[in-house]
Order: sequence, then structure tokens, then C-alpha cells
Amino acid sequence: MNKSGTDIQFAICGSAGDGTIASGDIVKRAAAAVGFHVIAFDVYPPEIRGFGKCISRIRVSAEQAYSLKEKTDVFISLNDSHAIPHVGEVRDFGAVIYDDRSIAPIREGAHITAHIRPAQIPYGLPIRQISEQATNAARSRNIVVLGYMAGLLKLPSRPFREVIAAKFATKPQAVIDANIRAFDAGLEAGRKVFRLDDVDVGTVPDHGGSEAVMMTGNGAIVRGFLEAGIQSYFGYPITPATSIMERLAVEMPKQGGKFLQTEDEISAIAATIGAGFAGSRAATATSGPGLALMTEMLGLGVMAEVPSVVVVSQRGGPSTGLPTKTEQSDLNLAVFGGSGDAQRIVIAPTNVEGCYRCAGMAFEIAETYQTPVIVLIDLYLSNRYETVFPSHENTFAPKPRKVPELAEGEPYKRFAFTESHISPRALPGDAGMVHTVTGLEHNELGRPGDGDHMRMNAKRHEKLISATRYPGLTVAKRFGDAGKVDVGILGWGSTFGEILEAMFEAQDAGISCSAMKAVMLSPLPVDELRAFFDDCRTVLVPELNYEGQFANLVSGALGRPVVRLNRTVATPMPVADILAEVKRLAAEADSPERIPATAGVGS
Amino acid sequence: MTEPVHHVIIGSGSAGFGAARTLRENDADCRITMFTMDAIPFYQRYELPQIFRGRSDWRDLLAVPPSFYEDHRIDLRRRCRVADVDGANRKISLSHQETVAYDRLLVCAGGRGYLPENLTGYGELIHGFGSFEAAMQTYRDLPEGGRVVMIGGDMVGIDLALTLLDTGYGVTLITNSQTFWPHELGAEERAPLLDVLRARGVTVLEDARAVRVEARNGGAPARCVTLDDGAQVQGDVVMAFCGLASSVEFMLRAAVDIERGLLVNPQLRTTNETIWAAGDVCQIWHDSEKAYKFYHGWKNVRVMGELAARNMQGANEVFDVDVEESIGIGEDGEIVSTFWTRGN
Amino acid sequence: MNKRVEPVYLEDKLQEIRADGHLKYRSKSLPTWCPGCGYFSMADGLTVALNRLGLDNRNVVTVSGIGCASRFPFFVNTYGFHTLHGRVLPVATGIKIGNDALTVIAVGGDGDAFAIGGGHIPHAARRNVDMTYLVFDNGIYGLTKGQTSPTSALGFKTSSTPYENGDAPLNPMMMLLSYGASWVGQAYAGKPHHLTDMITAAIAHKGFSFLRILSPCVTFDKTDNTYKNLSMMVRDLPDGHDGTDMMAAMALAMQDGHPALGVFFQAERPTLAEVMQTSIDRAQQASAT
Repeated sequence: MNKSGTDIQFAICGSAGDGTIASGDIVKRAAAAVGFHVIAFDVYPPEIRGFGKCISRIRVSAEQAYSLKEKTDVFISLNDSHAIPHVGEVRDFGAVIYDDRSIAPIREGAHITAHIRPAQIPYGLPIRQISEQATNAARSRNIVVLGYMAGLLKLPSRPFREVIAAKFATKPQAVIDANIRAFDAGLEAGRKVFRLDDVDVGTVPDHGGSEAVMMTGNGAIVRGFLEAGIQSYFGYPITPATSIMERLAVEMPKQGGKFLQTEDEISAIAATIGAGFAGSRAATATSGPGLALMTEMLGLGVMAEVPSVVVVSQRGGPSTGLPTKTEQSDLNLAVFGGSGDAQRIVIAPTNVEGCYRCAGMAFEIAETYQTPVIVLIDLYLSNRYETVFPSHENTFAPKPRKVPELAEGEPYKRFAFTESHISPRALPGDAGMVHTVTGLEHNELGRPGDGDHMRMNAKRHEKLISATRYPGLTVAKRFGDAGKVDVGILGWGSTFGEILEAMFEAQDAGISCSAMKAVMLSPLPVDELRAFFDDCRTVLVPELNYEGQFANLVSGALGRPVVRLNRTVATPMPVADILAEVKRLAAEADSPERIPATAGVGS
Repeated sequence: MTEPVHHVIIGSGSAGFGAARTLRENDADCRITMFTMDAIPFYQRYELPQIFRGRSDWRDLLAVPPSFYEDHRIDLRRRCRVADVDGANRKISLSHQETVAYDRLLVCAGGRGYLPENLTGYGELIHGFGSFEAAMQTYRDLPEGGRVVMIGGDMVGIDLALTLLDTGYGVTLITNSQTFWPHELGAEERAPLLDVLRARGVTVLEDARAVRVEARNGGAPARCVTLDDGAQVQGDVVMAFCGLASSVEFMLRAAVDIERGLLVNPQLRTTNETIWAAGDVCQIWHDSEKAYKFYHGWKNVRVMGELAARNMQGANEVFDVDVEESIGIGEDGEIVSTFWTRGN
Repeated sequence: MNKRVEPVYLEDKLQEIRADGHLKYRSKSLPTWCPGCGYFSMADGLTVALNRLGLDNRNVVTVSGIGCASRFPFFVNTYGFHTLHGRVLPVATGIKIGNDALTVIAVGGDGDAFAIGGGHIPHAARRNVDMTYLVFDNGIYGLTKGQTSPTSALGFKTSSTPYENGDAPLNPMMMLLSYGASWVGQAYAGKPHHLTDMITAAIAHKGFSFLRILSPCVTFDKTDNTYKNLSMMVRDLPDGHDGTDMMAAMALAMQDGHPALGVFFQAERPTLAEVMQTSIDRAQQASAT
């Protein structure tokens, strides 16, 4: 990103119950309220109760940023035993804020001061004591530290107070007052401190009054769905998709939508397809294990040509895997999962704004192509916050349906062969077009039979080709240097933010490079990809899986070699890893011998 | 496998830093932990007047880059207040309730600026100079061309006063017995030195005692000092430079002998076999004078730290004064002192 | 075996049938069931029931899973969805939620319903989805040529239980009663007029209606559920059976060795659509204030 102006990453680390995520939420909302760009990602423990670790990381910048930074500028510990393993992420001359008292004796090395590196700046304050003095309770420690941080960095305090008041708006006034007192007490303490860090707060950017909305990827999915007039939703709880379901449960009935928690993922997709058959805008959301259960039903959706929308938020796998950690290892399942030649549409947004747009457009695409549409995201994208600028006019709302027209005496052919390979679809309730759809191979009328299998397969595949030209949908996009470059970075999904950051750094280092994001993963936008490969001496494909699933997909489809960069480290892709690989490839591109493409797994 | 010896050093000034470096040079395996109240790694406090010459980034004052500590495996624990030392069980307690065991302890806690008893009630109105942050705060609060009213005027203060004059500020000096501390001077030795200061532009008030400090809200200058004769002296900032008082309060349960400072033998060991001390915090037995004496000045302090470290590692060296403290007037008419780093 | 047996009743009653009008609910596809299969009487029963209820075929959806019974949608002239093995109920639930104006009839056999699809029945029942579930129970897997099913009797010999079935059979009537189905009835393919009445009543019921239809598999079961045996086993509902009395219904269901034919239990309670409408009303009220 552009290096000018504010670019601060905050991290707040504590135990479940410390209000870690809540205070992170206040930081991101306060920053967004005054017009900063925000990207944030919270890490939760898999356990609900107990004292699992929570970390909220928030990058606040004057210019659009694309991923979290690897180094944190301002780190707050609400629980030293959780924070100690992470304090190393604070950059040199960044700030570490912690409680310099403890309520009970602690063993040697258990205090964070034992782990703050000499180049990091320690800021200790009696957080608990200040909270108790201000509110008669230790509960507001998470608010005290926010006040302290605002005082220390001389941040404007009004947005914090407003966000705190809004956050506790449903609570009694006394609770709001107590939290404001806690904030002010921290603020006063922070203002007295002489700063030794070199965190540059910069100035608040002027966006000319445009309204940023802070949302997570899952929140953006929900907003897109609601604007598209979602009518039916069927879901089964699974991390990290659950919050989509929970939000829709609240919001859908307000606009007359029907929400049902089903007995499993099979029923969720079955009901989604059933509702789609009945003409309803229907969707479900799940993660990899749920998608595995859904694949048979997705095959039915392909075969019976019924629209449906499935959001898949990936987490670490296989099996139950790493339920609360991010990964990109369900691409194969999303693109290929199920029996037979069952091509479907898979779109993978790369940021929160993309989640909003893909979810908003997914129904129309599914209805146009009469097939399942998978919106493939991952935990990192589901849960990370970004500031987005939603459309002022709703472009996702359903357009009037065209009822097929039949000539007198002509039988209705649900699966008629047409030039576009898309057959006019009648819905139950339409007169004169009564028909049965089936998972059996069938003829144009929908009657079971093998005779047209080859032609029907072709129809089901070829009708999707034009989806890569779908109006208003970005299927692939190139960034960075135009024309011929030494290194091209090809990415998909949430990792593309890290790819862009790495690309900008590589450009700063004088490397000729550009990056392409592939949003449509099925069918592949082969023209765009081929043009990109033509321009790049080497193409690097970084992704968060072990096998290089996207690398396999692309190199197989284009017949071109790629260099893989695979990480399964339970965290987003480190920018430094991408950058190091780009530098290596650029250096080899400089040498007279071309580097051979890496075959197999890994790099 | 035996645990490496754990050396704990309290204090990160010249003595403590010199000791840590020496310990590591002599033993690659031992464990070294330094505790300091400071937020930033070791820097020369004697260089703090440089702030008024524009060196306001603390990183410019560092003796070694922060990476030095990691490279030499010295655990530098900043912002840690030692609350108590249990000499019998070889444990120190930190104010945040952490307990740390040591094999050998070196106390180099130095001293804090002494404030005359009659002024202790005005502490909040008196600017400090004991740390980088305090010095910076003074720098920020002092308007351009402003005046500092200095009480006492030990050698740190005199250094600052001269720097202030060089950089366009005014200084009013109210002398007392600690003027030119740690040099112990008679009246006839003092007079020419004060004349030098006057010649440089310092307003020197002798035979007067500051009895009250007041803030003048909203007014400029911001401070008013009342003298015992009722006269009032105005300035933007009031500072006291009256020598150091050893920081020993956390050693009261350590089972070591304490007078004004920690009492150590010429090998710098206290009366506890596993506790040594160096720098401004200790008084060293002077065999010929049959008395415990303080030795100040950065060179002496550094030598003490290094010597104590070697003795902790089994040597049996005796402290020999590196520099006899002296003050005088140089050929150029300026004050010269062994206390200052300048000219060395 | 290969000799074609013409369905006699079509020939005999052609006039009567045409006059009745229910033929318009029959599709142009000929059923693929074995001659003599009990499913013919069910298909006929459904078309008569739809005709009696005066339902417009464009507003009726027949949904099925996989199995002999699941071919049903192809043979009736309504909208149809032939889905996956075991998944008829969730798909049918989705269709009903997708368009509440539709009359949804789910059909399947005992394997589709109680084996692979067994997990879905309690949920469709407890939610009281306003639809009809017709389960054609012949105690065997017919489409895969004769394996044991969850309702096969103990000791039954099939290609998958060559040394006799040792798994205790399920009792579908007790299951559905305990699942909270708001209409639970039983019929027999060998009593087509009663069967037709029962299908009609099941469709007319507001809420989830479950009709178990006992049927022989004339091809793969020559010993147990034959017309002969079933005809001897079945009995009428006891006089004075109170269809609102769950205890009485349960007692009746427990006597599965002598299956009673009729409505075991029926109750009025809010359908899923009504519950959803309540949520919608509450949400809209809450957001209006």
C-alpha cells in the first residue's frame, strides 16, 4: 500500500472473558467512524468457556490496505500468559501496553516485562486498579486500556466515547457511564505518559463525506443476500459460517424472508434446492465438512438444473481439522466435489467488499445459469473486518421473471436444447408446463433415459462458459506493472490481500512484477489467465493449502508451469514468505538461465 | 545438566551495563538478567543536556543498539521495580509480584536526585532531570529563551546550566551546600568557579535559601520561587540539582549493612556473600581512611561495575580509584571537571 | 415371469374412470413397476384423491427420493422432483417454504424413508411442515433386487441376509407418533378404496401427515409380506378409537403384528409456515418500534 500517512496495526490479546474482542471492536469502529480504512481479524479459542486466547488485530490506515501487517505497532496485553507468545510481533520502537500490577504472586518469567524485547517500548499501568477505582469493578479493564492508548497516542477521544456509548446502548445508563468513566480514567493516565515509541498517528483522511461501513466478510455476505432479497435460508451451525446464519435469523424475517435451522447440512442444501425449485431465492452457508456432506445434493442441483447459492467458508482440514483456523484447502471440493461431471459455478471473493458483491450477485447468476453457485471464502475473510462502501442503489434486487412462452399444442421441454444451452425454466404454479425434474439423466422433457447423456453433459457444461463474461462481475483482475514482467503472482481468495502487499513491496524493491486475482474458479476465466501467463516470465501461486489446489487447477487448465508457495500454518499467508519467493524468482529471472518450474508439492 | 549461574543486576546505568558486558565476556554460558525502572536501554545520563542541543531522539543517546542485549543474551527487563531482596534465600521480588531467583546479585541502582527537605512539598512543581523522559518534559515545558531557576547546582546541573546558556536560555542559580557536588569545595575554591558561571551569564544567588515554589497559573513565567529573605525569583522551570541519594530502600530486608549507601568491601561485596554493589549506590571501605566512601563520576562508576562483575565470577580484585575527582578552571577560562564526560 | 399381465381394472372400469376425471392427474409415462405391485393402487389412489380435493395440478408437487416408490412423480401429472436417496423430506420442506401455495406430497419406500432418510423424518414431523408423506412399506429393497430393509421381519431371508435377518424391525407407526406428526395413519395396498380415502384425508390435513401404506413386493418377497399374508394380518380400527388420544394411538401402534388400518392420531397445531409467519410478524414489529 501507499506508505504515506497513518498506518497503524493494533493488537489486543487477552483471555476469553476479558473483553478482548469487544475492545478491538471499539477500536475498529472508532477508527472507521473518523474515516480511516480498517482491516481487522480476531482470533478466538475453539472452546466457548474457559480461558482460551483471544487476539484482535486491527490495521488502521489513511490509504486502502489489503491485509494485516506482520508487525504490530501497538500491542495491548489483557492477559500476560496469552500475550507473551505474541509480543514478539511488535515492531521495533512499537508500543507494548500491559498491567504493571498483578493480583497474586506470579512465577519467574510470567510477567510480560520478561518478554518485551529491548527495542520495544514498555508502557505499564495499573489497569485493574484504575478500572476498580473508576467503576468499582475490574470488568472495565478492556476499556481502561483503550483510554490509556488514546491518551498515549493523542487520539481523538470523542469517537471512542461515542462508540462505547453505542456499544452499550442496550444496557442501563449506569453501565454506559461506568465504561465512559473507565475510558476517561485510562485517557488521563495515558496523557501523562511521555511517549518513547515512534508510532506515527498521522492525520485523519478526508474521504469527502462518503460513508464507510465496517463489516466482516460474513457480515458482507449477509448484507449482499439481504439486498438481493433472499427469500429462504437453510443452515446448520458450523464454524466459521455460523455468524451468517445467526445474522440472517435476525434480519430475514424483517423483510419477510423465511429462515430455518435444519437438522444437518444435507437437509440444508436439500431444502435450498427444494426452495430454488419452487422459485425462491434460497441459500445456505457452511464450511468444508458441511460441503463434503452437500456434494451429492449439489450434483442433483447440476443435473436437475435448479438454482441454489452455497457460501462455503473454509477452515483447516481434513476432517474436523482446525475448526477455528483459516485455510484454503476446500477448492478441490468446491470445484469438483460430488459424483460425475458436475461443473458448477464457484466464485471466490478476495476481500470483504468482494463478499458483499459476490453474495449480492450470486442469486441472479444461479438463476441465469440454473445451477448451484458456490461463494467460496475462508475463516480469515469470514471474520476479518474491513471498511467497505456499499452501493447507494440496490443493484442486486431480483428482476421480473420471464415465464416461458409456449406455442399452442407444443409440449413444454424443461431441458430444451437451445443456442445458449440454457432452457427456459417454468416454476411450479405455471400453467401448461407441468414437469418433473430428476437426478436421473433425462431427455429434453425431463423423462429418464440415457439417450441424450452426451448432449446433456455438453449442455450443462457449455451453458456455464458465458458466466466468465457475466456483466458486472469481476472474474479476474490484474494489478501492478502492466505488460511483460519478471514475476507474476496469481492468487485467489483471502490470500490475495497478502499477495498485493507483497507485490507492492516487491515493486518498491525494484522488481518488475504484477499480481492477478482469480475470482471465478469454475469455470476458469482462461482468457484472462492465459494473457497473464503470456506476460509473466514466472508465475507464483501462493495459497493456504498443502497440495497447491489452485496451482493444480490452473496449470492443468492452461498447460502452463507454475511455481507454488504453499503454507498450512493456521494463519494467513505471511507477506514476507511471498516477498522472499518473489525476490528469489526475480533474481533467477535476472540470471541467464530460466528457472525450471517447480513440480510437485511445495516450492 | 546443571543450570547456568544466574547473575542478576539491579540497575542499567554505567555500572550495571559495564557489569553485564563484562559478565558475558568472561562467561558465555551464564544467565544475565538486568532489572531497571527505565523504559529505554542504557544511555549516558550525563549526556542528557544534549537534548537542549537538539538531540531529542532517545535512540541517539543509546550507548549500544537495542539488539546488543539480544546478541549478548542479556535479559533486559525494563520498567521493573524491585520491591524487595531476600538475601537469605537469594530471591528478589518485583513490585508486580513476580519473584526471581538469583545465584549472584549486583546492585547498581544508583541514586535519585536529592531534594532539600524543606522543598519536598513542592515536588510536583519542580522539573526533573533524572531520566530521559523527565529531561524531555523539561525541554518541552521550557519556552524558547526561557529561564530555569536552578536550586543547588551539582555538576550535572552545572553542565545543564552551561548548555542552556549556549542554547539561548537563561539560568538563575540559587546555591547551597550541594553546589558543585560531588566535588567538596571550600568557599575560596567556590568563588572563582561561580565567577566563571556569572561571566557566562548565570544569575548566581548566594546566601539565599529557596523556601517555596509556586505555579503562576496562566502567567508567564510559570514558576515563582520565594527565598528565605522574602525575595522572589521568577522562571519558567524550577529544577533542583542537589546531588544524589542512594536508592537502597528495596535492600532493607537483604541482610546487608547499609549506611547512606550499601556498604561494600574493596572487592565491592556487601556483607552478604552473594550480593555485590557498584556505582552511586554503594560506599566502599577505604582502608587508609578507615571509612566508607562514595565515588562518583562516570568513569569510576563504570570501573566499579566491571570490577564487581569479575569478582562475582571468582576474581578477587580491589577497587582502586580510576579518577581522583577534581575541578578547576582550564586555560580557556572554562570549568573543567573529572565528573563530566566532556573532554574524555 | 415374462408373460405380460394387463392391469385388469383399467379395462373394466374405463368408462367409469373417464367420467370421474381423475385421469387428468395421470401422466403419459407408463409406470415401470412389476405387474401386480401394490404401488399401482397407490398411484391410482393419489390421482383420485387429487381429483376429489379439486386441486389444480399446476399447484401440486410430488417429491420423491430413490427406490421403486420414488418413481412415482413420473406417473402423476403434477410438478415433480425426483431427488436423492433418503432426501425427499428436506427437499419437500424447501419446496413448501419456497412457495407455500403449493400442495406438497412426498413419497418413498421403507428403505428411503427409514434407513438412509430416517434422520429427516423426526424433523419434518416436529416442525409440522404442511405436507403429506406417503411411505410405501413393503419391507424390502426392490429397486436393487431384494435386500433387507429396516422394516423387514426377523428371520427374513434376502440376498443381504442369506442366514436370516437378525435386526429387529422398526415400528414406523410408533416412531411417527413419538416424533410428533400431527396426522398418523395406516393403509393397505390390498384395500384400494380405503387407501384412496386415507390419501385424501392425509392431503386434506393441515400439517404434517404420515400415511404408511402396507404393500407386498410381488417379485422379491414370496414368503412374508404377500397379499395373502397381509390380507390376513390387517384389521380395522377398533370401534370407538379416539384419534386425539395419543395413548390409544400408541397402544394401537404397538400391535404391529396385526396392523390396524385407519387414522391412529390427528392433532391441530401450528404449521411451520405459521410459525415462520409469527417470527416475521415479531421481527417486523420489533424493527418498527
